[in-house]
Amino acid sequence: MSDCDGGVPGPVLLELRGLGVSFGGVRAVRNVSLSLRSGELVGLIGPNGAGKSTLLNLITGSARPSAGQILWKGRPIAGLSPDRLCHLGIGRTFQNIRLFPSMTVFENVALGMHSKPLYSLAEAFVRGRRARAAEAEVARRTAELLELVGLGGRGSERAGALPYGLQRRLELARAMATGPELLLLDEPAAGMNEEECAGLTGLIRGIHREFGYGIIIIEHHIKVVMELCAESRIYVMNLGEILAAGSPREIQGDRRVVEAYLGEKREAHGRRRRRLARDS
Amino acid sequence: MILFLQQLVSGISIGAVYSLLAVGYALVYSVYNFTNWAFDAFMVTGAFAAFYAITLFALPFPVAIVLAIVLTVGVSLAVEVGAYRPLRARRAPRLFMMISAMGASMALVNLMNIAFGGAFRKFPQVVAGALVVGGVSISKMDLFAAVFSFAVLGLLWLLLERTRIGLGIRASALDTLTAGLMGVDNNGVALVIFGISGVLSAVAGIFYGAKYAVYPYLGLVTIKAMIASIIGGIGSLPGAVVGSLFLGITETLVSGYISSIYRDLFSFSILVAVLLFFPNGLLGAKTVDKL
Amino acid sequence: MGYLVTILILGCVNVIAALGLAVLTGYTGLFSMGHAGFMAVGGYAAAILFAHLKLPFALALPGGALVAGLSSFVIGYPAFRGRLRGDYFAIATLGFAEAVRLLLNTTYKYVGGSYGFTGLPQLTSLPVALAATAAALVLAHLFVTSQHGKNCVALGEDETAAEMMGVNLLRTKLAALFVSAFYAGLAGGLYAFFMAYLSPSMFGIGKSSDLLAAVVFGGMQSLVGPALAAFILVALPEALRFLLNWRLVIYGLLFVVIMVFRPQGLLGYKEMNADWLRRMLGRGPGAAGQRDGGGR
Repeated sequence: MSDCDGGVPGPVLLELRGLGVSFGGVRAVRNVSLSLRSGELVGLIGPNGAGKSTLLNLITGSARPSAGQILWKGRPIAGLSPDRLCHLGIGRTFQNIRLFPSMTVFENVALGMHSKPLYSLAEAFVRGRRARAAEAEVARRTAELLELVGLGGRGSERAGALPYGLQRRLELARAMATGPELLLLDEPAAGMNEEECAGLTGLIRGIHREFGYGIIIIEHHIKVVMELCAESRIYVMNLGEILAAGSPREIQGDRRVVEAYLGEKREAHGRRRRRLARDS
Repeated sequence: MILFLQQLVSGISIGAVYSLLAVGYALVYSVYNFTNWAFDAFMVTGAFAAFYAITLFALPFPVAIVLAIVLTVGVSLAVEVGAYRPLRARRAPRLFMMISAMGASMALVNLMNIAFGGAFRKFPQVVAGALVVGGVSISKMDLFAAVFSFAVLGLLWLLLERTRIGLGIRASALDTLTAGLMGVDNNGVALVIFGISGVLSAVAGIFYGAKYAVYPYLGLVTIKAMIASIIGGIGSLPGAVVGSLFLGITETLVSGYISSIYRDLFSFSILVAVLLFFPNGLLGAKTVDKL
Repeated sequence: MGYLVTILILGCVNVIAALGLAVLTGYTGLFSMGHAGFMAVGGYAAAILFAHLKLPFALALPGGALVAGLSSFVIGYPAFRGRLRGDYFAIATLGFAEAVRLLLNTTYKYVGGSYGFTGLPQLTSLPVALAATAAALVLAHLFVTSQHGKNCVALGEDETAAEMMGVNLLRTKLAALFVSAFYAGLAGGLYAFFMAYLSPSMFGIGKSSDLLAAVVFGGMQSLVGPALAAFILVALPEALRFLLNWRLVIYGLLFVVIMVFRPQGLLGYKEMNADWLRRMLGRGPGAAGQRDGGGR
């Protein structure tokens, strides 16, 4: 599987083998295996509660797997702390936006770089040449990233005051600032209308092309996923397991996938029918 | 051996009082993820209310207890409505809620300091004498305190497990938002929870004041209850009781066998040790942040 | 010593301690109820270094502060490694401060126990206090505007997200705690050599509440706010001597009122610095019509 511009996929970045986790008796993720090469953009879809975000949490270290392995460039990383994983090159955005609301737009993005050791505490007090050069570089790169996501010139605004769509983009810029090799996007288009979705799709495609990140994108806006992964593959999860994996067309035609989603719809429909019957 | 049993009994008695406080903290924490810093003020209110009910108005002990409880519940509800509810409604960060609680506590405790003066008052002896069981002398007041405390905790358990209100509280402890959407009256639940807090702290205040002395800064003992809560596991009600008894007993043993001066130092060291080796407490569950 | 000079020196002491707490609570979001404990450690350590180990004042003072900073690891490491949630960290600091006070109260050898540490010369003159305060302010500013400071703020805003963005929680919290304890220790040392006397009762909950009040009134994520508030909180009670007993009641009520109506305090989130000045004067980052790349 190669990405859109015909580039050859790189070496395997991330590999999940039989990954599983339980929370209080509920198996949120079970026996998940997948692999991603550097530069690949893949999708992860599935009904609510399928375990998609939990999978991301396992990869980024905020949950510890109870079974299976996570390999990053061939080395096991399960159990490492989230900040360590970030430094290794795994970046992410969140399902519910988690910006630093009272920090400025600039500071939010810069934090992605500030979290890596640039200069010592002593140097911070003296503001020697190295510290100043480092900060200048941070400022330069931050301005670049802000420009890229369409927030150029808004650096000194409070992040919490930004409109929703721009907050999503800011989160993206912040994740990119950590200099990742793998980007995990958790429902980046949530709450967006058609136009915003199209804009976001273009943005993601653009940064994928320019920076060559490996990307796993969780999304409910099927159109976004289908477009971005047209030349790639999509994983479908349900009830904690990988139900199917394949090209967008293969997935759309897969009966099990349709049932998994319809099952959700049918259940909701049934509830509605029962409620109507009860209230009439 | 006799000395040991003596200390044990004393330790259980003080542990019972701690557990009232620890459960009070755990209850509020389990629902609101927030430590009710004003709890110490409620305790002092209860103690002084009972004290003056008996000494100034010559009311019998049971009446004094009821009066103290009623008054303390009133104060507790006032603090909830004035200092906590507005912040909760605004989803204020926890730090702000802590500061507000701290403020309520400071204001109340120091108000009482001004009104009543800082002198240590001896609680009148309402339950006198001691039982002698197998050579061990158990003060009747200690016994009464322990029994009453456990009775209150038992009633609380019944409330939580067997009533609709209790169900609402337990639902809120799991997920306040969903509970609200499911029809639980969040504000009503808050009133009940802080009402219960008032009862627990009043009883604790009365017995603690009776055992030691009544004075405005008596609430400092709530630190012990918080430590007990940490030891037993944050937010866990059974953990609070276990931690409290553990702390009460070990503390008293240290005090009896080593030195009473080092009692509080010991509690602090226990805290450090527990944090180092059992970060979730003895019974606490690891909480997972929803991402 | 003139009355005014006394107020100024005491004000400086309070400002330095409040700056420390501002870094911890105002910036990193860690609530500490026991900062008086670090003041005590710093004060007593400086006194011991001076009186018993015969170190010169210029070394004893920072030495005491260093001891205070190092002592913060005693409670910081277990608490942060155990991922103690905010409120419980506060309890732990309270426990620490009480333990320190107790220890000092009952140890008579070298430190005088409850009788206090007497016989210290009054070496904290106004120039010394002012110089220390100025240095403290500058260094604190350099800290919060450095990457280390930014990590603290991010951690305070959203610990989980910060960690996912690469911030090491344990190291950052320990650093913030160390800095704040160092400052408190420095303040304690200056206090000791001004009062010429030390007693454990000077460092009780009231003192910790005073410092917290300065940070709350002064505002979160601000240095100048708490510094100003700290100074006012020393000067005002002196001017309104008759209110002395009511001081804490009023603070308490103000805490609640401020949190409900104006949580940002005096100058919260609005740091007054060169950028701000330039913006006010119509030049520099953030000014109208200008493309910027800068933060606060």
